[in-house]
Formats: sequence, structure tokens, C-alpha cells
Amino acid sequence: MEVPTGFMVVCLLLSCFVATSYGVYFSSLNETLIVTATHTKNQVLKAGEEKITVTWRFNKTYKAGTDSAYKTVKVKLCYAPISQKDRSWRKTEDRLKKDKTCPHKIVARPYTASNNSFTWTIERDIPTGVYFVRAYALDAQEQEVAYGQSTDAKKSTNLFEVQAITGRHASLDIASVCFSAFSIVSLAGFFYMEKRKGKAAQQK
Amino acid sequence: MNTMDVSQNPDNNYRKFALPVDSEHKATEFRLFSIATPHMRAFHLSWISFFACFVSTFAAPPLLPIIRDNLNLTATDIGNAGIAAVSGAVFARVAMGTACDLFGPRLASSSLILLTAPAVFFSAIANSPSAFLMVRFFTGFSLATFVSTQFWMSSMFSPNVVGTANGLSGGWGNLGGGATQLIMPLVYSLIHNNIGSTKFTAWRIAFFIPAIFQALSAYAIFFLGQDMPDGNYVRLENSGEKHKDSFTQVFYHAITNYRGWILALTYGYCFGVELTIDNIIAQYFYDRFNVNLHTAGIIAASFGLANLFSRPGGGILSDVVAKRYGMRGRLWTLWVVQMIGGLLCLLLGKIGSLSGSVAVMLVFSVFVQAACGLTFGVVPFVSRRSLGVISGMTGGGGNVGAVLTQVIFFRGSRYSTEEGISLMGVMIMCCTLVILFIYFPQWGGLFCGPKKGVTEEDYYLAEWTAAEKEQGFHKMSIKFSENSRRERGKIGASVPIQSDKDTPPTIV
Repeated sequence: MEVPTGFMVVCLLLSCFVATSYGVYFSSLNETLIVTATHTKNQVLKAGEEKITVTWRFNKTYKAGTDSAYKTVKVKLCYAPISQKDRSWRKTEDRLKKDKTCPHKIVARPYTASNNSFTWTIERDIPTGVYFVRAYALDAQEQEVAYGQSTDAKKSTNLFEVQAITGRHASLDIASVCFSAFSIVSLAGFFYMEKRKGKAAQQK
Repeated sequence: MNTMDVSQNPDNNYRKFALPVDSEHKATEFRLFSIATPHMRAFHLSWISFFACFVSTFAAPPLLPIIRDNLNLTATDIGNAGIAAVSGAVFARVAMGTACDLFGPRLASSSLILLTAPAVFFSAIANSPSAFLMVRFFTGFSLATFVSTQFWMSSMFSPNVVGTANGLSGGWGNLGGGATQLIMPLVYSLIHNNIGSTKFTAWRIAFFIPAIFQALSAYAIFFLGQDMPDGNYVRLENSGEKHKDSFTQVFYHAITNYRGWILALTYGYCFGVELTIDNIIAQYFYDRFNVNLHTAGIIAASFGLANLFSRPGGGILSDVVAKRYGMRGRLWTLWVVQMIGGLLCLLLGKIGSLSGSVAVMLVFSVFVQAACGLTFGVVPFVSRRSLGVISGMTGGGGNVGAVLTQVIFFRGSRYSTEEGISLMGVMIMCCTLVILFIYFPQWGGLFCGPKKGVTEEDYYLAEWTAAEKEQGFHKMSIKFSENSRRERGKIGASVPIQSDKDTPPTIV
């Protein structure tokens, strides 16, 4: 009885070692976590103002003990395929070190199998786009060993939209317009001064 | 002889200049650390204002990682904005050349700089991909100050140092394209980290810095500069010392001079290539060699920063070679240096290692920028009457080259970036071949010597009709012809000057 569990633990540890040498590949991870992200459906969420609530728990249909290596959980905000289109800086790569699908961190917590929930106000530097939430389970070496996401494998369901802040302020608008107007007016002043100088030279 | 006394004309005050001058009062020496009026002051005003325009035009690329998230840009939007930034100046440069011929470089450049400053201010409030494209397009017009820079230097400096003056002012202006890759991220992080603005506000505030710098440089030009060694156009024209030329004549003599068109084409494949590289090289190193964005930015900056010495080096080399070999030496050196530049570009796309690529890129930058300096060692001699429009055509041709290369090789996914770079190298070499066709009857070309008996006066005075000559409008061309005698080189100097045309070349 003890041999299989011990064997499994050794296998897990070995696979961790292998993973560290070559970098972790997303396709090697199992989706052992169930992640949900709740928000009001069909509403565009405003960055800096609105919240989403993320919950995650271990999927009990997997063998008990699968999650023995999980030490921390990192929850991230990820781009849906439509927001990655024609934007190679958000490209999905299988090698997690090079993967740019999930650049925005939501929260990191020590791992517990259930009762995990976090309400997150969408930060002000989140760009406009369509998103889903993914949670990575990390082992003691900070390597990804499992994941869960709030959408399906094709990343087409349960997506939500975020509207970014513009970054503009009334003071900036006014300053821009004033400085521009001043430039044009001073140019007109230059021409006037030149004409006067010219007339003076003519009279000499 | 330290000063020239124009005492033939009693109305002219005796003028003493800080530098030695020729008969047109153009300086025959170049003293970098002087700010004496009018020559060296004009030099410093022109390179600083041109530098400011370059900083503004390329202020967006280093901040793109933030701007693209704020404005929700796609790769296509970014590519189009990059092309827009360099395409505006194509016609603006020709227009600027005309404006310099008609109104003088001081008014022409300060006007353009002040007219484009609003585009930089409005960059701070851009809210969509199309707004971004528009502000980059209009800001790019400011690159036409290149033409006023070269025109101003050609008006202030004698043929023996004009290559040096043009190369230094052009090169130190182009430096702005490299410096901005370091300046803008620095300003942004000061605003974001130290003042605490959010990312999407901080980049907007950062744009005020290049905008204000640009506007201030225009004021400096207007109040501190002057068009020619003897004064400003408006004063000289109204007192009768300078004739106000006709636009149609000036334009006609420029576009009918085939040498202007050849140089426009070849400039597209040194300067145009330089602009294209400014736009794509950071991404190239980031994608192919997996350096981080910060490192890619430093590599990109070093390409532009080589302009500190490489473009001026080209100008100085042009003058040094001309001392012994005259215009033929200038043309040969231009051809050789630009060909080597093309070869290095071809090589750059083929190298697979990071350190090898950086090394080749640096050598490539020196050759391609030196070719720019060498081109403007030849341009001042193509025409005297239409110097501005010729400079404008050549400068505009540079931007056309940038648009063409980006559209053919660096748009969409037809070619990978490294394939595009190598193919661009091949195109450089093919287009440089046309230099073989440049021929000055009084000095020769690459393979042919000068025509016997043809003088500089024959060439430059042919731009004026008999009626215009009768009224004495062509005086400046006579003086220029004499001063450009040096372009025969040491070999040609001993040939006696025989002119069988009507007017003897003397000043009354």
C-alpha cells in the first residue's frame, strides 16, 4: 500500500526536476484546479472601479495526494484569443517562461484545497480587452505543476471584457491646447515682427 | 587674410567676422567650440533644433509597450503609424527646400518647428489608434528641418568645409533618434515612479518634454539666428542687396537637374535605411535573440547614437578627399562607402548570434551614416540657384526610401525580419549603382574626366537667363563659381581657366 504512494511522490519529484531543467511546458500540466470568476454578465468592467471575485479549489475527481506538492497558488488575469490577435507581444507559447498570455497578477496565496476566494478590483493599468482567469499551482521550487482556468480549453466561454482608463485628465487636455495655441500665436507674432523689420530696412 | 572688405560698395559697412571668410562671406574654417555670430551660432542653432525634432518624431517607439496597451493598438496599427511618421516629411522636405530658397532658413525652420509642436502636444491626449497615427504623421513633418539645416550650413560655410558643417549638423540632429530611446523611458519612469502617476497618464505627461524643447528651439532660431553671413533675407532683399527670386524658376532649375534625382534615390538607401532601422531594430533584437525590452532599447539607441561621429565623419571625409581629388573624389568615396553599407546590411540579416549581430550592426551604422554625410558633401554643388529645392528633393528622397523599405520588407508576415534586412541590403547595393551616372562637365564623374574648356561659371550661370543676368541677379552664382574652383582637386587646379562664354567672371 505504501509503495504506490511513495512511488508516486518520487515520480512527482523527479518530474519536477526534469521540468526545472528544460522549463515547464503548459501542455505538461494537468487542470486539477477548478477556477471560477464571477462578474455581472454582459457588462463591460471598468478598470480601477469594478471587481471580480475569483474562487479556486482542488478538483476532487483527481486522486487524493495529487496536490501534495502544491505549495502556493498564483492567480492571474489572462488574454482571450481575440485580444491576442495581431498582437505578438501577447502570444501564447507552450514554454511557460516565454508565454505571454497571462501577464497580470491578481493574487498569490498559500495552497489550500478548498474555500479559496478573492475579490479583486481591476487595476488601473489593465488594458482594454477580453479576459479570463487562470490559477497556477506552484511547488516548493516555484515551478508550475498544475493549473485551473475559468474558461474552457478553447478559451471561448465565460470570458469578460475590461475597459481601460484613458489616462487623460482635464488638466492635460487644457495644457495641450494652451501650449499649442501659444505656439501658433507666437509664430504669427514672428511674421509680424519680420514684416516690420523689412519695412524699416526699406526706408533706410 | 582674416577679413574681406566689401568696400567697393560704399553703402556696405565694413564687416569683421570672427572666422576667416571667402568672397561670399562664408566661413572657410569650422570651429566647433565657438558660438560666434553668424556662422558657428547658426551651426549650433540648427543642430540643436533638428535634434529636438528627431526626439519628438521618435518619442513614441520606446514607450510603445505602454502606449499600445493604453490605446489598444494592434501590430498593424503600430506598423502604419511608423510608416506615417516618416512619410509626412517626403513632401514637407521639398516644400522646405523651396521655402528656404524664397524666405530663408531662419524663418522657414522656426515656422515649421512651431507649426508641428502642436502635434507633439496633442500626442499627450491621443485616445485611439487613428489619433495615434495622425499625431505621428504630423509630428513627422518636423523632420523637414533637415533641409533648412543643410541649406543654412551651405549658406554659412565655404565649399572647403561645407561637407564637415553639413555632416556635423545632420549627424548631431539624427542623434536625437537614438537619444530619444534613452530620454523618453527615463522621463516616463521619473513621472511614473517618483511623481506617482499611473502608467497611462505618465507617458502622456512625458510627451510635454520633447514638445516644449522643440518650441523653445524655434524661439532660439528666430531671435538668435540669421539667414546669411550678411544678414536676414528680408533686410537684404528690401535694401536691394539680395534679389528676391521667382519660385517657378527656382523649382524648374531644380527638377530639371538629373543629378538631384539621382542623389534623391541614393539618399533613400542610406538615410531611408537608417530611419527604417530606427523603427524596427529594437523589436528585431527582442524577438530573434530574446533580450528584454530594456536591453533591446539600448541596442536600438546605440545605432542612432553612432551618428555622433559617423555622419560627421562622412562629411569630413568628403572634404578631405576633395582637397586632393576634387568632386570626383567625393563621388567615388560616396559610392564605395554606401556599397559597403549595403553589404553589411545583407550580412546583418544572416548572422545568428547576438554578439555578432550587435557588432555587425554597429559597423553597418557607421557606414550607412557616413554615406549620408558624404551625400551632402556633393549636394551643395548640384545647383546654386536652387540649392534649397535640391536639398529638399534629396532629403525627401531619403524619406521615400524609408517608406518603401518598410512597406516592402517590414510589413505583414511576407518576410521574417532577418530576411527583410538582408533583402534591404541587396536593394541598397542595386540602387547605389546609379551614382555611376552623375557627371559634372566642369569636374567629371566616376569614370569620365571633365570636359575640356568647361568652367564652373558655365555650369552655375546656365541657371540664369540673359535677361536676369543683365539685371545682375546672378552675382551670388558668380561668387560661388569662383569659390567652388577647389572642386577640381590638386590635379585640376593647374589647368588654366578659359571661358569662351560672354560675361567675364569679374565682380564690379
